[in-house]
Formats: sequence, structure tokens, C-alpha cells
Amino acid sequence: MKRRTFLAGTAATALACPAIAQSSKKLTFLSWNIVDQADMFKRWFAAFTAEHPGVEIEWLDKKGPDLPPFYQTQLAAGTPPDVLDLQGGIGIEYAAQGALLDLTPYLTAHPDVKARFNQDYLNNWVWEGKTWLVPFYVAKTLLFYNKPLFQKAGLAGPATSFDELLAHAEKIGAGGTDQTGFLTLNFDWLYWALFKMNGVDLLSPDLKQPVFDTPKLVEVTEKLAKATAGTAINKISWTGRWVEPLGAFASGKVGMLNAHAPAYFFLKGQGAWINQDTLGVAELPGNWSVPTLHGYGISKGTKNPDLAWAFVEFCTARKQAQEMADSRRVLTAYTEVDNALMGHLEKDEPLAHAVLATQLEHTDKLCGNWPLPNDSRIKDAFYPELQNALLGRKDAKSALDEASRKVARELRRA
Amino acid sequence: MALVACFLAPSLLIFLLYRILPLIWNVVLSFEAWSPLHAATWVGWDNYDEMLHDDDVFWQALWNTLIFMASQPIGVAIALGIALLVNSDLKGAAVYRTIVFLSYPLMTVAVAIIWRWMYNERGGLINFVLRRLGIIHQPIAFLDSFAWALPSTIVANTWQVLGFFMIVLLTGLQNIPPHLYEAARVDGAPAWARLFRITLPMLKPSLFLCAVISILNSFAAFDLVYVMTNGGPGHGTELLITYIYKVGFGQTRFDYAAALTVAQFVLLLALAWLANRASGGNAGALE
Repeated sequence: MKRRTFLAGTAATALACPAIAQSSKKLTFLSWNIVDQADMFKRWFAAFTAEHPGVEIEWLDKKGPDLPPFYQTQLAAGTPPDVLDLQGGIGIEYAAQGALLDLTPYLTAHPDVKARFNQDYLNNWVWEGKTWLVPFYVAKTLLFYNKPLFQKAGLAGPATSFDELLAHAEKIGAGGTDQTGFLTLNFDWLYWALFKMNGVDLLSPDLKQPVFDTPKLVEVTEKLAKATAGTAINKISWTGRWVEPLGAFASGKVGMLNAHAPAYFFLKGQGAWINQDTLGVAELPGNWSVPTLHGYGISKGTKNPDLAWAFVEFCTARKQAQEMADSRRVLTAYTEVDNALMGHLEKDEPLAHAVLATQLEHTDKLCGNWPLPNDSRIKDAFYPELQNALLGRKDAKSALDEASRKVARELRRA
Repeated sequence: MALVACFLAPSLLIFLLYRILPLIWNVVLSFEAWSPLHAATWVGWDNYDEMLHDDDVFWQALWNTLIFMASQPIGVAIALGIALLVNSDLKGAAVYRTIVFLSYPLMTVAVAIIWRWMYNERGGLINFVLRRLGIIHQPIAFLDSFAWALPSTIVANTWQVLGFFMIVLLTGLQNIPPHLYEAARVDGAPAWARLFRITLPMLKPSLFLCAVISILNSFAAFDLVYVMTNGGPGHGTELLITYIYKVGFGQTRFDYAAALTVAQFVLLLALAWLANRASGGNAGALE
């Protein structure tokens, strides 16, 4: 090889290198505490990269409390993950802050993708007429109840009204020293069905004014506070997070639990007493429930929006969604996938089937899912005052007046 | 001189990069409206105005922090009692010393989870024992009541640092020359006189160190409170540090969180200055 040919070849290779490097694209996927599905994700990544040669996927998984700080630091650094899994109202908050890409154009261009999903669930991520996330896996609250404690208290079945619910709770709570009647999860507005069944709403329909500070809510709060002061409602309802309330119910000493469907698998693992004969599942009175949804979003700062969308489309496709549904026994809001899962469960796990069946019913009666651009601030303005009333620090009227003032202030700031 | 500067430069650079610059940036941020997605705009004293005049949670968190801080000497006093016991001729003193110290190396999150379980109203160990002994008839909702939540977190915090303070004070005790006690005994000084005239004056630097560390630690008791109560119920155990975290990372208000941080920093600075003055400019030094 002549020296000139060698140099020309070397120069050509050197010039080509950046082009080769540019053809290699990297997608970062940030998920929310789902590291137990590592094998499944690795299979998905392998399949996706086989379909998209030159694409590399970096997977980051963070536990719930760690994900928002992590994402915000990535945003501040200008290196947000391309695709992320978000839970609850935080997706709308990030969308309102300009962190997320509007998925409406993609959903319009791919009506088959939009048609996959239960529209009631999909609509939870609509803010200002635009869709910001698409479902990954979905759940909503339901009422779990302890059948032996119901029998012991002489109760035939779950309540059909708020007052009956409290009466049931009181009867069960009166049954033993360590027994309590009712428990609820309290994060992400999961208790709101208790208010909604009494006709109370947090905000006006245009989400501009607080409308909860009514004599009705004062009355409801007073009843809840009275029940909490005794043994009808377990105090952990208003202070615990996930493990404590579920652990208390799993101990077999609590009559009812208002929680979302994934709680069932935790309860089953913890409570040796739980089987089809002992655990009852039902809707809360009025069939109201609060959703807790996980959705895929795309960061606005992604360098490869189309590729990120292709990844989201891939992850929510029939095969992948079915794998997710079957391995975790969760609903995906992909109607066909969920129907197939329910078909398996009806034969193999009737109790899990009964739990998940509640998640597909009355999806038109979801509450506590206001698309608020400042959801966490509204929560922080409202909930501590509600706690003050429920745990006896303030009377209900003063606490709700104060909550209303604080919520109105946050709404003005938004 | 150049050689000294060369050795110092890496440390100073790291100190500048990770301490001084973030501090300056934080102060600047407290006068701005900023989020990771929006360019900063100067808002002057707005964040401070809100903090001082329109944020009752700030005042509650400040009050709780001061109570938390003021309770720290109790831990030092208990640690002193234990140190005196394990420094005596007590049989098995080494075993007790190890047992007491064991709480210190435990992860704070683990300590918080253990205490959370012990405080549980329905199945917790403390309620169980109190009821079995007939001391109470109704279980106490330690972490779920406004009256008990803050004292309960303070007890857990005190328990965790007890071992460390005991070791510091024990070291101080063992450095007291034995001939002082022998002379006092020869002179017929009773035990209380030996404690107040010899032990405590000689232990002053160690006690001061413990007091300063405990006060500073009370400002950083984030993990314990976050896991035990998350600042609740109703901000009943909210400390400045947990509130700063919630405002910054929960509500994405880094600008306002920066103003809260400056308030905490000023408070810490004032306390450090007071401590230094009280020790004659020798705070935290062991003789």
C-alpha cells in the first residue's frame, strides 16, 4: 500500500467516525420502582434494539420517593431521560411545567395506538386538551373487607352508603381491644371517594375555585373524626403511607380497607388468613373510586422524540402489554390485554379476578384525579388541615376554612 | 509556601466547588423565581416576604426545630449518666458499653422503622408492655396524635445518638487524672461533691462538644423524621429540613426552598456563633 493511499484511507475512516457515532442513538428509560421486572425489560430492550439497529437503551429505576428528585436534577442538568414512567398527578404537574412532550400528535397519527386503551383511563392524562402520557399499568381504589370480622359483627355484606359504612366500622371496631373497623390509604387523594360519595368536590368544574368548604363536608369530617377518635376508623388511615395500613389490615384485625388493587398482592403475601372465603372485595358506596395510574411520558428535552415514541408504542403493544399484565397481574388499560388476563385469572385465581374485576367497572366514576398543574401544592395545602380535623387538633369547620383559604391561595399562584 | 499551596489546592478546590459555590448560588436563587425548566427571573425579597408573612408551615417547622434542638441536652445528660455508670466498677460494664453504643452505627432509616413499629398504636411493643403492666388501659397513638408525635420522634433521635455521646463522655472521664479523686477522697469529699467539683468541670470540653454536635444534628434530623412521620400529622413534626425538602422536591419550588435554606443557615450560623462565644472561642475543641 502506498503511503498516500494509506493516509487517504485513514482520513476517510476518521471522517466517517462521527457519522457512525451519530447513527448510534441512546434512549434513556426511567421507571418507577419496578426493578422486579428486570428480566422482562431486558427482553423488551433486546427486541426493540433488534428492530432499531444502532439504538442503545439505558434503563434507570428509582423508588417512588426518589424518582421526582432524580428527574428534577436531570432536568436541571439538561439531561432528562427520554422516556419515563410516572405515577399519579405528577405527570400533569410535569407537563404543566413544560417537562413533557405533548403526545397528542403521535396519538392522532397512530389512531390504532389510541384505540388500544380504555378511554376513561387515557383521559386521566389530558390537560388543556392535550394528552401527555399513555397507560403503562393502571389501578383504582376498591373496598377490601374481612369476612370473618363481618360475620362476627353480624354484618351481611359491604355498606351501600357512607353512614352505613361508618356504622359497619363502628360495629367491627367494638368487637375487641385491638380491632378497628375501617382503614384507608391517604396518599394521592385515595380517600377522596369518601367525600365524593357525599357529593363533595374539591374544586369547581373549571378547577379555579375551592368548593369543598360546605356544611356537608363539615358534617362528613366531624363523623370521620368521631369514628377516628374511637375504634371505628384506624388512625393509621390518616398518617400511614402504604406498608403500615396494609400491614394492619393483613394482621386480620381491621374490618375494611379502602386501597388500590395492587394492595391485594401485598395483603395476600402478608396475611395468612386471606383466601377466597375470608377476603371480600366490593366497590365503595356510590361506586366511586380514585385511580392510581402509571403512564409512559416522553421528556420534552429528548433528542430523539420519534424514537422515544417508537419505544413507548413498542412497550404498550399487545405482546409487551400482555407480558406485563401476566407477570405482574396488573391491568394495562389495553382493553384486549386486560380481557385476556381476566380470562386466565377467572380460572386460575378467582380472588385476584374478583379484585381486578372492580378495576374495569365504573371507570366513569373516577374521582380525586383533577388534572392540576400544581397538584402537590394543592395536596399540601389541603391535607394537613384535614388531618388537623380528623385527628382532633381543630374542629372541622375551622380546619376546612383554613384549608379552603390555603387551596385558594395555591390556585391563585398557579 | 508553594508546596503548601499545592497540597492545599485540591481540598480547597473541592471545598469551593461543593460548599462555597452552592451556598452562593443558593442565596442568589432565593431572590429569584426559578425552576429546572424556566430561566430565572429576579423577584427580590418576594420569597422571604412569603416565608415571613404568608407561610404558617414555616413558623411551625421553625418552632418544631427549636423544640427538637432544645431537647438535645436531655440526651447528653442521659449519656453522661450512662458514661458514669460504665466508667465505674460495675460488673459487666464493657458489655453495657457495647450495648449502648450499638444504637449509633445503625442506619437512621432502620432506627426510624424500628421505632415506628414500637410506637404502633395497635401492635406496637411499647403499647403492649404498658398495657400488660396496667399503666394504661387505652393504647396511645404515639405517632398519630399531635401531643405525642414530636416527643416520640425526639425520644427515637435521642436513643440513636446516646451511644456516641456516651463514648465521647467516657473518653473525657477516662482522661481525668485519678489522683484528683484520690485527693478528694482523702479530704473526705462526698460523691456529689466529687461529681460537681471534679468530674463536671473536667468534662466541660467533652460536654460542650456533645452539646454542639447534638444541636447541629437536630437541624439535620431529616431521615428519622421523614421515615417516622413524614412531618405529620398536620405538620406536627415538620422540621425546617423536612419542609425544605418537601417544598423543593415535592412542590418543585426550588426558589422558595432556597429562601427557607437561607433562613436555616442563618439560624445555624447564629447558634454556632453563640456556641463559640460561650466556649470562649474554643467550641468543639477537646483538651
